[in-house]
Amino acid sequence: MADTVFTSVPREPGAVKPNAILVADGVTRRFGGLTAVDVAHFEVERNSITALIGPNGAGKSTFFNLLTGFDSAQEGEGTFEGRPLRGMSPAKVARAGMVRTFQLTKALNRMTVMENMRLGAQSQPGENLVRAFVPPLWATREREISEQAHELLHRFKLYEKREDYAGSLSGGQRKLLEMARALMSKPTMVMLDEPMAGVNPALTESLLDHIVELKEDGMTVLFVEHDMHMVRRISDWVVVMAEGKIIAEGPANTVMANRAVQDAYLGSHHDTDLFEEREEA
Amino acid sequence: MLATLDRRTLLKAALVFVIAAIGFVAVVTLGGGAEAASADPEVATTAATTAAGGNILLQNLFNGVVFGLLLALASVGLSLIYGTTGLSNFAHGEMVTFGAMITFFLATQQPVSLPLLPFSFTVGLPLIPAALIGISISAGFGWLQDKVIWSQLRRRRVAMVQQMIVSIGLSLALVNLIQWWIGGRPVRLTTSIDPRNQYGPISVGNVTLMSMAIAIVALLGVAYFLQRTRLGRATRAVSDNPALASASGIKVDSIIRIVWVMAAGLAALGGILLALYQQGIGFDDGTQLLLLMFAAVTLGGLGHPYGALVGSLIIGIVAEVSTVWLPPDLKFATALGILIVVLLFRPQGILGKSERVG
Amino acid sequence: MDILFDVLRTAIAPSTAAFALAAIGLNFHFGLTGLLNMGHAGFMLLGMYGFAISLQAGWPIWLALIAGLVAAGVFALLLGWPTLKLRGDYLAIVTIAAAEMVRFLGRSQSLKDLTGASSGIRGKDFKEPFELLSPFPDRIVEIGPFSLHGSRSSSWWLTVVTWSLVFLFAAIYWRLASSPWGRVLKGIREDEDAVRSLGKNVYSYKMQALVIGGMIGALGGITWSLGNSVQPDSMGRPTTFWIWTLLLLGGAATVFGPVLGSILFWSALTLVKSVASALIPSDVLAPTELEPFSLVLVGVTLMLLVVFRPQGVLGNKKELAFNG
Repeated sequence: MADTVFTSVPREPGAVKPNAILVADGVTRRFGGLTAVDVAHFEVERNSITALIGPNGAGKSTFFNLLTGFDSAQEGEGTFEGRPLRGMSPAKVARAGMVRTFQLTKALNRMTVMENMRLGAQSQPGENLVRAFVPPLWATREREISEQAHELLHRFKLYEKREDYAGSLSGGQRKLLEMARALMSKPTMVMLDEPMAGVNPALTESLLDHIVELKEDGMTVLFVEHDMHMVRRISDWVVVMAEGKIIAEGPANTVMANRAVQDAYLGSHHDTDLFEEREEA
Repeated sequence: MLATLDRRTLLKAALVFVIAAIGFVAVVTLGGGAEAASADPEVATTAATTAAGGNILLQNLFNGVVFGLLLALASVGLSLIYGTTGLSNFAHGEMVTFGAMITFFLATQQPVSLPLLPFSFTVGLPLIPAALIGISISAGFGWLQDKVIWSQLRRRRVAMVQQMIVSIGLSLALVNLIQWWIGGRPVRLTTSIDPRNQYGPISVGNVTLMSMAIAIVALLGVAYFLQRTRLGRATRAVSDNPALASASGIKVDSIIRIVWVMAAGLAALGGILLALYQQGIGFDDGTQLLLLMFAAVTLGGLGHPYGALVGSLIIGIVAEVSTVWLPPDLKFATALGILIVVLLFRPQGILGKSERVG
Repeated sequence: MDILFDVLRTAIAPSTAAFALAAIGLNFHFGLTGLLNMGHAGFMLLGMYGFAISLQAGWPIWLALIAGLVAAGVFALLLGWPTLKLRGDYLAIVTIAAAEMVRFLGRSQSLKDLTGASSGIRGKDFKEPFELLSPFPDRIVEIGPFSLHGSRSSSWWLTVVTWSLVFLFAAIYWRLASSPWGRVLKGIREDEDAVRSLGKNVYSYKMQALVIGGMIGALGGITWSLGNSVQPDSMGRPTTFWIWTLLLLGGAATVFGPVLGSILFWSALTLVKSVASALIPSDVLAPTELEPFSLVLVGVTLMLLVVFRPQGVLGNKKELAFNG
C-alpha cells in the first residue's frame, strides 16, 4: 500500500522526504557509558503512516521519548512543522499538535471513560484555577468537548462504556481509549508506542483500521512496533533501528529483504525481554 | 527526567539553598544569638561538647563520628529494607527505641511493669546479658512484623504508598505503646557515671569508646555478610533486581525475612548504644532519629547498602560540627537542611546510580 | 450520659473544625492530586506563627491572617519548586523534614523573642483582636446542653467562625474538584506522564495544588491556635499523621470526607478515653496512660483502614484513594 509520494525517496537511512513534518538531526542520548540513541538524520513525511521498527533494545522507545519531549538528548536538534523541538516540554510538544500514546497503556484508571476523554481536549478555559470557580466561563466549551468525545467514543466503540471507570476496561479497550483520548486534542501528528502490544487478535484488526483512518483524516502517524506483519499491512514507510542507529529505510517489502535488517533481528534473538523492560522503567 | 539534571534545575536548587541560608541566618541573628537550652533532651547529647580547653572543632568532629556510627547501625537496616522491598519504613525509629527499652526493662533495678498489668516487678539482669536478650527479642520482633504484617501486604500486592502509610500507623502505635509501657521520662540503662579521659584534644569516656568499637565490629560484620556470604550476595541480588533474583532461584521472601530480622537486631543494638552514649533514652528518641536515618539513607543513595554508612557519618558530623557555629538546639534542623539541599543537587544520593529513564 | 455530652462537645468543638479544615487542605494534596505531603503540621505551624507574630507586632487582624497564609504559601512554593519534578516519595521525605525544621526553628532558644521557643506564644498574647470581633457576650453562654464562653478561646464565636470556614472550604473543594481544573489534578493523581502527553503543564498544576492545600492547612492551624495557643510541639509529626488518619477515615477525594473524618476521629478518641477511664480501673490503666493508649488505637486504626478500607467511610469503592 506504498504511497506514490515515496516513489522518488531513496531507500537509505536518513532519507530526505518531499514534505517532511518532523525532522531530527544528530540526536544522541547516552546513559552513563551506554549510547542508547545515535541518529544522524530522520524525517517523517506529512500525512503518511511511518513505522519505526527494530529489535529489543534498539533505542526505539528512547528515540520516541526524545522526539516527544519526555527525555532530553545530549546533542541534536529537531523540528516539528518547522518549529524547533529542543528544550520543549512534553506538554508543549502535545500542544504543538504532536500527541503520543504509551507502550504500557496509561488509561487514568480511577476516572470514567468520559473524564479521560475530556481531559484530552485543548483550550478548556476551566482548566485555569481562577476561571474554574465560574462555570459560565467554561460550560459552553465543556459541552463542545463532550460532543466531540461522544463522536469519538462511537467511532471507537466505547460509547456504551462512557460512564465506566477506565480501570474496568479490558487491555485492548484501554488502548482504544488512549488513542481516542489523544485525538481529542485534534492533533496533526499521532505518535503510537507499540499500539498492538498485548491486544487480542480480534481487536488488533480494528486498531489497524483506526490507524489507517487517522491518515485518511489528514493526520501523520509514526508508530513503534516489532510485529513485522502489522507493519507490512498498514505502513507507507518503514524505518529500522538497531543499536541506537537507523540502519535502513524504505517501503515494508524492501526493508524486510534488507540483509542488515535481517541480521539485526536474528542477532538479537538472545536478547532477553528484561532489557526492554528496564528501558521502559 | 530524574537523571538529567540540567542547568536550570541546578540553578533552582542553588537559589533555594541561598534563600534558605539567608532566612536561616536572618532569623538566628534576629532572635538574638545562641543560648543553649539544656532542658531539651536532644541537647543533652551535646553535653559531650563541653571539652575543657580542647579544640572544640576536633571534639565535635569526633562526637560526629561517634553519633554517625550509631546512626549507621540504625539506618543500615532501613536501607536494606528499602532496597529489598521498596518500603520506606516509617516504623524503624521505634525499633531503635524498642531495643533500648527492652534492655532497660531487663536490666533496671527499679520495679517495671507491662501495659495493662496491675502490678510491677523487677527483672534486674546485668547489663550485657540484658542487652543480648534485648537484641534477640528485637530481632524476633522484626521476624514477627514481617510475618504478620509486611509479607501479608506483599502477598496481597498492596501498593507501596499504602504500605508506607501502614508503617506510619505502626510507628504511631508503637511509640505510644512504648510511652504507655515505660512512661514519658527518659530512662538510663546504667546508673554508673562514665568518667571522661583526655586523649590529646579529645575527651571521651570508656563506655563511648567501647560503643564505638562494638558499632564498628557490627558494621564490619554486615559488610562481611553482604560481601562474602552466599546469603549476603543473594540479599544484594534481591536489592538489585527482585524479578531477576527470583527467576534465578533465590527465595526472595525468605531473604526479605532475614533482612527484617537483621534490620531489627541492628536497630536495637544502635538503640542500646545510643542510650549508653547519650546517658539515657526517651520513649520518642528513636522516632526523632527516624528523620536523620532517612536523611542518611537518602543521602547515601536509597537502598544502597553502604550508602547508609556514608550518609550516617555525614549527617552525624554535620549535626555535631554545626553546633560550633549554630545553637545546639538547631543541629537536627541543620542535618535535615543538608538532606534537602543534597536532594536538590543529587536526588539519587551520593553512592546511588543515576536512574535510567527512557 | 456525661460521656455522650463529652463526645458531642468534641464533635462540634472548634479544634475539630480546625482539623477538618487542615484535612480539606490535605485532600487537595493527596485526595485530588496524589501528592504525599507528610509535613502538613508544618504548614499549620507556619500559618499560626505568621498570624500570631504579626498580631503581636500590632498588625490589623486581616493583615495578620494574610501573613499567616502567605507564609505557608511561600513555604509550599519553596518545597515544591525543586521536588515536584522528582518521584513522589521524595516529596514525602522533604515535606516531613521541612516541617520538622520549622518546628525545630520555632522551638529554638535563639528565636525566643519571636516564637517564644518551646513554650510557644500564649493565647492571651495574640487572641484579643479576634475575640474583640465577637458578637457574642463576654461571658459563659448556655445553648441547649452546651455551655461555652461567648468570646474567649474555644468560644461560641470561634465555633461559628470555624464551622463556617469548614463549609466554605468544603464548597470550594467541591467547586474546584468538579471543574476542568480538578479533572487535570485527578489525571495527575492517576498518571502524570499521561497528563503531560495531553498537553497539560503538570508541574504548574501540582504546584497550584500544593500551595492551595498548604494555605488551607495554615488556616486550619490559625483557627486551631485561636482555640488553644501557638505551641510548636503540638504540631509535630503525630499531628500530620492524625490528619492523614482522619482524612482516610472519612474518605479521601470526597467533599465531606475530611469533615466527617475529623468529627469521627475526635469523637471516637474522646469516647475511647471516657469509656476507658470509666470502665478500666486506674491500677490497670492510669490516667496518664490514657493518652498513649488511645493513640495506640489511632495507629492501629490507620493501619487497618489503609489495608481494609482505603476508600474510607464516604469514598467510592471504585475510586479508591490508592493506585492498585
